[in-house]
Amino acid sequence: MLSLENIINGIHTWLNNTFDPTLALTCEFVLLGITAIAIFAVLGLVLVLMERKVAAIMQIRKGPNRVGPFGMFQTVADTLKLIMKEGLTPDGADKVLFNLAPFIVMIAAMLLLAPIPFAKGVQMWDINIGVLFISAVSSISVIGILMAGWASNNKYSLLGAMRSGAQIVSYELSAGLSVITIVILTGSLQLSEIVNAQQNGWWIFKGHIPVLISFVTFIIAVTAETNRAPFDLAEAESELTAGFHTEYSGMKFALFFLAEYINIFIACAIGATLFLGGWMPFHIGNWEGFNAIMDYIPSSIWFVGKTFFLIFLMMWFRWTFPRLRVDQLLNLEWKYLLPISMLNLLVVTVMAIMGWYF
Amino acid sequence: MITQYLFYFLTFTAIFCALLVVFSKNPIYSALYLIVTFFATAGHYFLLNAQFLGAVHVIVYAGAIMVLFIYVIMMLNLNKEVEPHKSNIIKIAATVCGGILGLVLIAALRETELGEITEYSNNGIGLIEKLGNVLFGAYMVPFEISTVLFLSAMVGAVFLSKKNIH
Amino acid sequence: MILNDFFIFMKQELMLLFIIFLLLLIKVGKDRSNESLLYLINLLLLINVIAGFILPGEGSLFSDMFRTNPLIALEKNMLNIGTLIISMQSYSWLKSHKHLLEFYILMISTLLGMFYMISSGNLLMFYLGLELSSIPLAALVNFDLEKKASSEAAMKFILSSAFSSGLLLFGVSLIYGTTGSLAYAEITSHLSTDPLQIFAFVLFLAGFAFKISAVPFHFWTADVYEGAPVAITSYLSVISKGAVLFVFVSVLYTVFKPLADVWYGMLFVLSISTIIIGNLFAIRQDNFKRFLAFSSIAQVGFILVGISGSSSMGTAAVIYFVLIYIFSNLGAFGVVSIVSSLTGKERISDYKSFYKTNPFLSWILTIALFSLAGVPPAAGFFGKFFLLIAGAEKGNYLLISIAALNMIVSFYYYLRIVKSVFMEPNESPIESLTIPLISKVALYICLLGIVILGLWSVVYDYIFTLSPIF
Repeated sequence: MLSLENIINGIHTWLNNTFDPTLALTCEFVLLGITAIAIFAVLGLVLVLMERKVAAIMQIRKGPNRVGPFGMFQTVADTLKLIMKEGLTPDGADKVLFNLAPFIVMIAAMLLLAPIPFAKGVQMWDINIGVLFISAVSSISVIGILMAGWASNNKYSLLGAMRSGAQIVSYELSAGLSVITIVILTGSLQLSEIVNAQQNGWWIFKGHIPVLISFVTFIIAVTAETNRAPFDLAEAESELTAGFHTEYSGMKFALFFLAEYINIFIACAIGATLFLGGWMPFHIGNWEGFNAIMDYIPSSIWFVGKTFFLIFLMMWFRWTFPRLRVDQLLNLEWKYLLPISMLNLLVVTVMAIMGWYF
Repeated sequence: MITQYLFYFLTFTAIFCALLVVFSKNPIYSALYLIVTFFATAGHYFLLNAQFLGAVHVIVYAGAIMVLFIYVIMMLNLNKEVEPHKSNIIKIAATVCGGILGLVLIAALRETELGEITEYSNNGIGLIEKLGNVLFGAYMVPFEISTVLFLSAMVGAVFLSKKNIH
Repeated sequence: MILNDFFIFMKQELMLLFIIFLLLLIKVGKDRSNESLLYLINLLLLINVIAGFILPGEGSLFSDMFRTNPLIALEKNMLNIGTLIISMQSYSWLKSHKHLLEFYILMISTLLGMFYMISSGNLLMFYLGLELSSIPLAALVNFDLEKKASSEAAMKFILSSAFSSGLLLFGVSLIYGTTGSLAYAEITSHLSTDPLQIFAFVLFLAGFAFKISAVPFHFWTADVYEGAPVAITSYLSVISKGAVLFVFVSVLYTVFKPLADVWYGMLFVLSISTIIIGNLFAIRQDNFKRFLAFSSIAQVGFILVGISGSSSMGTAAVIYFVLIYIFSNLGAFGVVSIVSSLTGKERISDYKSFYKTNPFLSWILTIALFSLAGVPPAAGFFGKFFLLIAGAEKGNYLLISIAALNMIVSFYYYLRIVKSVFMEPNESPIESLTIPLISKVALYICLLGIVILGLWSVVYDYIFTLSPIF
């Protein structure tokens, strides 16, 4: 059948039959690299347009509708514009760090694509500490942001970078604790196992209230980690003149911009994988008939649907809640979210030991 | 074969970047080189099949501790001109002392006869399940005492940073 | 059964943990007056001391991570008594301090760390206990937030403490690498005079010598003792040193027994240089705290003489001496603490004609200084006597004679203070102080301790029967 899994397996066997194993491996790496860049490009296009359209609909206006039918090529036009802009480097800026920073943020975003299961059997690297790998790599992006702020030689950039860095490091804790609740229920850190454990129902339904609490905590934490409204004090236009990427223009700014949207996609993909079942269709217990019907829809469609639903949720937040001040933001994390996450972890552990879940 | 190349690459990266940490003039560069050193060490952990330890090493050291270091360095705003320099005699004396210590260590290493190295049959010794069993079994007391250590360090840190309200 | 063992063996640690958490909860709750809190805390510490004497067990838990026997229980009780005395003596300073609860939480955390360090059977637990006992101390040294000298002392303390911890850990990792285990029992069977193991031992010794401020590693002592608040100085000089000395003696005699010839020479050099330098520098000091710092360095030199004999009398002599040292040093520090908190004067020249205005305090100071010097009826004499006898086991009379000669030098600087307290005139002497009752009780306890330990041999015999024969 024409499923992604079969195509990929087919390519793998063909490569191994034609060339010797090391060359086949190298070819696969190259193909993966090209795929990753292609995913980036497509996602960037789609997400930026989606953001603008969703914002427009919520504000009862039309959004981009000139360039191409329904404004489909708007992002292409934007990208062309950014490429052709002059890339200024400020005078007192630290040239090495200034140029390196956008790449570090991009590298972190790209590495995070590796362990995510996109469809049944389609996963770049099924490492057996998948969840921990995601946590580790998302810590790298903080360093890129701090470098960007410092190297710009600009007080507003530095302030924005420090606020942004503090926010990300704080909310990483709550996000990690929420993720660990699912790991406890599954019993493994491997992402493919977590998805397989949701065969008879998604965790958000199986693990009733505590998992719901940790889902909510996760969404809040991840919105804050990606510097998204209502936690976007560090880069809001009216506040700090765009924060840590003030001094960036042209292609480097495009890299930051793109990396932010990819981070949103990845965060929602992780949320969908852990809480909403990843590529697993909507099964209800062991009801064979219903499950067979749900299985008919390809798993990649399920995955993309769930992820985009969560992305829509995050975009919805932007136009619903007012922006939080930086001390309110840190207050929320350290005094409310973190104790709640820890208590929730305790409750989930008891639940997992006693078997009080479906 | 490839693990051997990887080992040498990681070793040279780690040592080179560690030296650069000490020798670079800009403190932010030192912090960034230290981050690269930590990544190289985490790579070594992965080579030894301690995957959990390697990932946690990156999360804690490179992701949290170094970020705090970078914050402090940025706030201190050190410049090359402001920093007080030690006199040359002290620098020479320190180098000589450090060199002698290194020489003694190398001599001791050469004179030592290696004992038998027990080969552990690779039954998943670095995996998280084994680590969890050992941590909550035989090493329970150090684990719990380290929590008291963190608690008292936090109490001390919060106390030290209190502002005088007059 | 194992749960019963757990509660009986670890009862001292569990009590301290209970006190820490109780104080944390009080801190989160509503504000109470400092005096009522101080009464509560001193009462809890008293209960802790009394309960520590009941039912000392013998055994080990968690595959030798925690060992206990009557000697270890006695050592912990001594530290408990010392902490209680310090807490009672600093009553007047803490009464008006804003951060009372943090003080006790941090201090009891360090005490907990020392307890775990003393009763560890594994180098990992030992290191963890060592860190737990030194990190909160760095915050405590900085307790007078307003004074710059305090912050400077804290910086020096934490930087040198971290560096020496690093050296010690390097030594521990080399030992692990060459012997293959961290448990005390297994290390001894794999140790031999291998060059790398000797190197590891030297690093280990460097870390220890830092904590007890033996001479080449003593540079942090004077400044930290001078800058820290008096209560913390007394805690550092008595309890911190005492705990590390206990561990030092037991580790040296059991774990590093195969290296006995090696460490004998090292201890010889360390003890001679410590005694000489401590004495020389103490002669010229004017600040009382700095003076007591150098005098404590000299006392440690004597203890090292006692340890280097490596006999069964060594353990008993060291423990007995630490007990005497607790009482005498806390007696001297008690007087300094009261004077410092009520008047703020810390220099020796301010103590001239102290007798005319405060006879009680000056008598306590005199007896404490006599004990520190080693004048016969006071207990310090017997402590040093036993140490020198223990040190003479190896037949190295050079060491003993140098130590004895230095005792004479130390007489000079101790008795100089006694002379100025009783005989020298002063235009503006320290005014007559009203001592709070609790601090008076603490000083009486110190006095009683010095007198009893000097005149009755019950305590020494008890310690001698408990100390194992090596």
